[in-house]
Amino acid sequence: MPDRSINEPMLDIFIFETVKQIEQLEQLIISNEKFSCYTQDAINEIFRIMHTIKGSAAMMLFDNISTLSHTIEDLFYFLREEKPEGMDCTALSDLVLEGVDFIKVEVEKIKNGHKANGDAERISEKMRSFLAALKKVELSAAVTAEYSEASGGKRQYYISKDKTAVNTGKNAFKALIRFEEGCGMENIRAFSLIRDLKDITNELRSIPEDVMACDGSIEAIRKEGFTVFLKTDLSYKEMNDFIMKTVCLKELILAKLDDIEVFNKASQEKRIVLEDNEIESPRLHKEEALTPAGLQQSIISVNVNKLDKLMDLVGEMVIAEAMVTQNPDLKGLELHNFQKAARQLKKITSELQDMVMSIRMIPISATFHKMQRIVRDMCKKLNKEVQLELIGEETEVDKNIIEHISDPLMHLIRNSIDHGMENADERLKKGKPQSGTITLTAQNAGSDVVITVKDDGKGLNREKILQRAKEHDLIYKPEEEMSDKEIYSLIFLPGFSTKDNISEFSGRGVGMDVVVKNIETVGGGVSVDSAADKGTTVTLKIPLTLAIIDGMNIRVGNAMYTIPTISIKESFRANERDLIIDPDGNEMVMVRGQCYPVLRLHEHFKVKTIVTNIPEGIIVMVENGEDSICIFADELVGEQQVVVKTLPAYIRGMRKIQGLAGCTLLGDGSISLILNIAGLFEK
Amino acid sequence: MKKVLIVDDAAFMRASIRMMLEKNGFEVVGEAENGLVGIQKYKELSPDIVTMDITMPDMDGIESLKAIKEYDAKAKIIMVSAMGQEPMVMDAVVSGAKSFIVKPFKEELVVQTLNKVLEL
Repeated sequence: MPDRSINEPMLDIFIFETVKQIEQLEQLIISNEKFSCYTQDAINEIFRIMHTIKGSAAMMLFDNISTLSHTIEDLFYFLREEKPEGMDCTALSDLVLEGVDFIKVEVEKIKNGHKANGDAERISEKMRSFLAALKKVELSAAVTAEYSEASGGKRQYYISKDKTAVNTGKNAFKALIRFEEGCGMENIRAFSLIRDLKDITNELRSIPEDVMACDGSIEAIRKEGFTVFLKTDLSYKEMNDFIMKTVCLKELILAKLDDIEVFNKASQEKRIVLEDNEIESPRLHKEEALTPAGLQQSIISVNVNKLDKLMDLVGEMVIAEAMVTQNPDLKGLELHNFQKAARQLKKITSELQDMVMSIRMIPISATFHKMQRIVRDMCKKLNKEVQLELIGEETEVDKNIIEHISDPLMHLIRNSIDHGMENADERLKKGKPQSGTITLTAQNAGSDVVITVKDDGKGLNREKILQRAKEHDLIYKPEEEMSDKEIYSLIFLPGFSTKDNISEFSGRGVGMDVVVKNIETVGGGVSVDSAADKGTTVTLKIPLTLAIIDGMNIRVGNAMYTIPTISIKESFRANERDLIIDPDGNEMVMVRGQCYPVLRLHEHFKVKTIVTNIPEGIIVMVENGEDSICIFADELVGEQQVVVKTLPAYIRGMRKIQGLAGCTLLGDGSISLILNIAGLFEK
Repeated sequence: MKKVLIVDDAAFMRASIRMMLEKNGFEVVGEAENGLVGIQKYKELSPDIVTMDITMPDMDGIESLKAIKEYDAKAKIIMVSAMGQEPMVMDAVVSGAKSFIVKPFKEELVVQTLNKVLEL
């Protein structure tokens, strides 16, 4: 028995691969269902996937998964070979998806360390009935899962006579062979032995006589062993050694038969045909040998923990590189060669960092495609028609972040179909196309990824939302002062729900705020917009990666800050005449005819500095979306690649500091606080 | 140490076989995920023995076996099959596979099979 403890490292690979294959399978089923029915390629692939899962699950002793996979494999084998017509494809899809769900659940149990003890008997039974019904329609009683029949008729196996050997056959032997338990396909092993024996004999008889007769020969060989009678020139020892080379041999009882008559009598069965027919082996066309299709990109699976560690190390290296090249000891020294070497070091570190970050980025397409299943299931259950449109699925996102996007997306889509989408009749009455559309888009926007879920349903009900918010006491501002967008955003507050009935999918008021929480956990934000009868759009904005950014270091008094370079529009020294005060008493600065508010960092963060006169310090204009503000600091220190470290937990726990994204170590070992531009805008 | 090339489209199977073999003193010099890559790697690495899965995309184990045997008549190839693939295993044996193992298999059997074939 394979030792379970030894299989633990294999468990991760099993789970990883099986999950991937199940997702692939699901995609195949859903996309094929749309286009009339299953293509031959799809059937082949589904067959292969189930075959693989069957094998792997059996190795890991997950017999329920293996058996169910086997049943599905049989079903698709039949489809592959017989290509039945007029089959109910939707019923087939439902059936297979049921099987897929079962396997998903079992794998989930395994992932969490529980026993995979689900009973697949009911599903298997349904599949067997479906297959039986198909077969009846085909009226082929002879077609069972016998692969031998299906692969083009019975084969005759001829063993070519070795023309050069001269066997006088002076010795006669009887050999009784037993194979090891569990070695499998004993009939083929027997056949293989007979084939090898042709080299040393012209005359051979065996019991059972026809090892390749499908029924019974394997059992017979297992129970009674495999007996061979032969005449050869070999000595006893040579004969013994010859047969002992057989793989999976458990036991050999070899007897030399002195009397030729005994030989003839003992082996009255039909002989194995020794013919001169050659076995044809088709030649491989040399040109086909290395087509580009075969030379696939080599791919290797890597443990995510190792990747995370690699990221951390690269981050540390960026800091270390800065600490070397910007070391205070070097201040003022003229070091040409050193500078050259330092530049080279910086270049390599930069490339290394880019490479490591790109390793962790994976396209969001897998997540998007998972949504197809949700749409399909919801439409079926709620009797609505919705199409899913995907744009920008090749957009890449950090692996860590992708895991936090999946659940929110699922919930948003469920919500949209449940609450937002009208059914076919209502839509037609409104003059909309019968089938609703949900559009999922993903695109890069600077250092963020923006994902939108847009539907063409009935939109959010402004009045109802206000009403519900008042009921739950969630209004924080007089309603006349609230913009539409702000009102719509009320749905993100915990405990909010305008659905009167709680359905299986939504309405419990715990969904939307969980979406927000999930996104905020990875440092992103959620917003929503809507138009009555036109539809609703939910926008998720998520940072590409949290780890390393390009920054501009600035000084205020003794404190150092870093501004993400991507947010900087320009920096300059302001002139007295460009400074004005607006009607509310706020400081503003004029730049090329436009007015921008000034943010005095020393006031904002309460830092002591002697530079309080704006023309004596520096202005850095930063933007957040369409707005810009001008940050006032003492001086610019320099550009640097900066590793973002989150603020220590005890600081975060004490109070939320607006405008700080994290901190980092500078080249001279001092700490710099990284500014969160979006946070600075909220006063 | 004897050098092994593992050809199988399932990463899980490749890893399982690798683990079993490395524990028992074999050196796994390469892996291939289909028959075409298998041929290429055989030529590159010249292993002492090959484990070859039957069902694979792009080029199955039987085709790959035949191609490798044509390149190197002395190639030692062991087929890895599942229950119910008797005709394909037959085809493989007739085409020159030295032996075969049936899934799910036990470690001792795999090791024994490889060792015996290497002695041939």
